[in-house]
Amino acid sequence: MAQTGIATTQQYNYDIIRKFAVMALVWGLLGMAAGIYIASELAWPFLNFDIPEITFGRLRPVHTTLVIFGFGGSALFATSYYIVQRTCQTRLYSDWMATFTFWGWQLAVGLGALSYMFGYTQSREYAEFEWPIDLLIAVTWVVYFLLYALTLKRRSQPHIYVANWFYMAFILATAILHIFNNLAVPVGLFSLKSYSLFSGVQDAMTQWWYGHNAVGFFLTAAFLGMMYYFVPKQAGRPVYSYRLSIIHFWALSFLYMWVGAHHLHWTALPDWTSTLAATFSIMLLLPSWGGMINGIMTLSGAWEKLRTDPIMLFLITALSFYGMATFEGPLMSLKSVNALSHYTDWTIGHVHSGALGWVAMITFGSFYHMVPRLYDTRLYSTRLVYAHFWLATIGILLYITAMWVAGIFQGLMLRSFDDYGNLAYTFVETVSFLHEPYVVRALGGVFFISGVLIMAWNMYMTVRQSRIESAEIEARIAAKMANA
Amino acid sequence: MSDAKAKSPGAVQTTGHAWDGDIQEFNNPLPSWWLWGFYATVVFALIYWVLYPAWPVGGSFTKGVLNDITFVDSDGSVKTTHWNTRALLIRDLKEGKEARLSQEYMSRVSAAGYAEILADPEMMAFTRSVAKGLFGDNCAACHGAGGQGVIGLFPNLADDAWLWGGSIEAVSTTITEGRYGFMPAFRDTFNDQQLSDVASYVLSLSGQETDATASARGEKIFQTEQGGCYYCHTHAGTGLKSQGAANLTDQIWTIADVNGTDDPASKKERVERVIRNGVQRRMPRWSERLSPDQIKLLTVYVHELGGGQ
Repeated sequence: MAQTGIATTQQYNYDIIRKFAVMALVWGLLGMAAGIYIASELAWPFLNFDIPEITFGRLRPVHTTLVIFGFGGSALFATSYYIVQRTCQTRLYSDWMATFTFWGWQLAVGLGALSYMFGYTQSREYAEFEWPIDLLIAVTWVVYFLLYALTLKRRSQPHIYVANWFYMAFILATAILHIFNNLAVPVGLFSLKSYSLFSGVQDAMTQWWYGHNAVGFFLTAAFLGMMYYFVPKQAGRPVYSYRLSIIHFWALSFLYMWVGAHHLHWTALPDWTSTLAATFSIMLLLPSWGGMINGIMTLSGAWEKLRTDPIMLFLITALSFYGMATFEGPLMSLKSVNALSHYTDWTIGHVHSGALGWVAMITFGSFYHMVPRLYDTRLYSTRLVYAHFWLATIGILLYITAMWVAGIFQGLMLRSFDDYGNLAYTFVETVSFLHEPYVVRALGGVFFISGVLIMAWNMYMTVRQSRIESAEIEARIAAKMANA
Repeated sequence: MSDAKAKSPGAVQTTGHAWDGDIQEFNNPLPSWWLWGFYATVVFALIYWVLYPAWPVGGSFTKGVLNDITFVDSDGSVKTTHWNTRALLIRDLKEGKEARLSQEYMSRVSAAGYAEILADPEMMAFTRSVAKGLFGDNCAACHGAGGQGVIGLFPNLADDAWLWGGSIEAVSTTITEGRYGFMPAFRDTFNDQQLSDVASYVLSLSGQETDATASARGEKIFQTEQGGCYYCHTHAGTGLKSQGAANLTDQIWTIADVNGTDDPASKKERVERVIRNGVQRRMPRWSERLSPDQIKLLTVYVHELGGGQ
């Protein structure tokens, strides 16, 4: 350590990381519970109970907002603050700025979720926040950007570690996406409603430019940043290839921005726009895999860790799901495949193999590494980490296989003809087919959230253990002082 | 750290930096399968761009080559254009394998009369194939996927009773024009005693157990100007199809769920409720939503659902 004599828990601002980590778990549990509830509503519609606030249409954005921005966002704030401090060996530039980002972000997520339940939404997917909350997010995000950049600037290391490039790209791109997609004129100063600056196909285009890059920079680049720190750290091995990290970072950043329109194939979108989106998606495959290769190959020569270290198991499994989802994505972006997959549950399955398999698993692995260090202690139980791992893995597999079955078969049913050249199925027949896959999907969710509950308990006990340990040490010191 | 280096494959060097104490980076070359894989996707994209509409140029865009689509437009003219999804759709709807097959059958059915269709197994099979979808997308929301209806709300089309007639002509008129089923509410005309009496009489018409004296009192109301029920339901109680008035002498109940209970008292209570509140049911006209050919096919389908008349 460069600064000898000062404990890392004092040298760095760990307090802000603890806060974000706790909120990541809180929002995660709430968001996943909402997810299971709406999955159950699709399987058993009576669960809507004719209460507008809990119908599928209102709870769905609550689910996505809580898991993406509440869970994912808080986890990114926590890990980015942890990584930037440790790899730059400097304290965050400003404590009050960090605290500001905490309250700004939590307020936005909480107000957003509440407003959706009461029917206030911009109706832009993953950007449902009404304009006052958009402003709050914009201010919070600019402070985050400044804080991160200023912390990097005062690093005591000559070079900026690769994880920070990815976090910087994420923060910068998210700011651009958020601001441009939400350009709108409020109906009135005291009205929550607003008119978008865009209309028609331009509006759809802007929304999906935002939507897909939210996946690209929020759910991919940023979590790659997480991966680039925690995988080599936990493995105790150097990153596989610095060269690969540079090439795939720039390729990923450049190519992602073009592909959003693949969400709008076979619509009023011009054909040339569709073509560009599809081809750039195909070219994005290998740059996406660059991160997976760099992560998995870091473990080359130390594979036995997969048998002995459940945290490594989380990290490497996350990378495998990442590789699978980033293969599936370009495939689905081809117009011919999209004609089958679009508007079916295949899309939902694809998103969740990324969201549960990659985003959540890499976060769990990183948290198991980071949280004990934040409290200067060891994990309460390794066996519980294994239990969490298997529950999560079974949950994901149930979820995505159910959605493959639901999506591919519904797609096939919708386009199959009988011997007379007529459509073989009515729409409602395809809907009634979905019931069983929907039940299995909800069950997958139950498995997944059980794992997170175990994690929350393990984390709680770890923190409690740390308090007991430090109390014991203090008591011993006090006793020694008294004896002396 | 020296341990990790020793285990590294080959003699690859790290970049020489270390972060957070122990994070280092090897400088392995790019895996060749990765690099060639990436080049392959770029070549794929280049070929795609040549063949299909791809890059915006000024106010237009590159159209793609070797990929022209010739199709018959809605005005009947033959057009050739660069590859685009709209032309593809128009061509598919008119010239696709399934579209041709369906059109062929459709023109036969369109030219044929009802009697001819009903007698031809192949045309009937085609009719079921088209009308199943038409029924599922337009009718099933109210009448149910199998035409079973919802008692009290939407008539059952799969039973033997036809409120407005079960002939081909009647079914066709029903779908084309829609129907307005109406029975006045008698809550202001009859007192509770009279409501109960009429209900008893109505139940007795189909052989249900009722109190004979109450039924006799009810009959008097039903069959005279006092109630005037016979205007629509006729003196025999068999109903008038021109009014959509139900036959009260059979075991089929479309509004009051008489068959849903074994208790005579609640059977009577259910019939009373209908007499008290009346009936107002409207089926929309479909001539504006469906083509004459589609209505024709649906007519045959619905006619067959209920066994026809």
